[in-house]
Amino acid sequence: MEWIRFLLAAFFILIGVAAALIAAFGMFRFKFVLNRMHAAAVCDTCAILFVMIGLIIISGFNFTSLKFLLILFFLWIASPVSSHLISNMAVATNEHIEEECLVVPPKSEER
Amino acid sequence: MDFQRAYEILLIGAVIILSLIIFVCFIRAVIGPRIADRIVAINMIGTLTIMMIAILALLLGEGYLVDVSIIYAMISFLAVVVLTKIYLGVYREIKSKEAEKQQKEGEL
Repeated sequence: MEWIRFLLAAFFILIGVAAALIAAFGMFRFKFVLNRMHAAAVCDTCAILFVMIGLIIISGFNFTSLKFLLILFFLWIASPVSSHLISNMAVATNEHIEEECLVVPPKSEER
Repeated sequence: MDFQRAYEILLIGAVIILSLIIFVCFIRAVIGPRIADRIVAINMIGTLTIMMIAILALLLGEGYLVDVSIIYAMISFLAVVVLTKIYLGVYREIKSKEAEKQQKEGEL
């Protein structure tokens, strides 16, 4: 029984750390801000999910596990909002946005 | 079998690798040519710190360290919101002042 718990927890935590490594690798590989932000946010979310699941398996059926779940849900709600605000700012303050990505004017301007 | 030692090795190894990743993200925060680069790096450092505090809470056996990580998550979210709004406001103010200056020079 103890073997199963240890192996499962080790599996999840190692996958979480590997996802964080992929996020750090992606931040240095891409050329533009918006790509880097995408890599960081997505891989970060995946990494914290797996690490928290591993920690919940180690800790057992406890009040501490509930707190881990609370951290996870709060980060899942807050992280996309942060990414949206950062990308808003990055596009609004960039004068050469045409080089980085395709800009489609809104439909109301075409009429 | 002594599982205490095995858990310690696993969790300490995870903490060491995460701290190396935090150091790598710091390099991006220093190099990054635009401001958004730096805010993305700081956001990621915050999330990695939350993971490290949660792992340490299990290593040391203290249950109340998890509350610290919850509060750190809220503070890092608040920091990103405030930074983006402030920088957007400052940028628009600088642009409007330049537009006013150009208008005045155009009139002269």
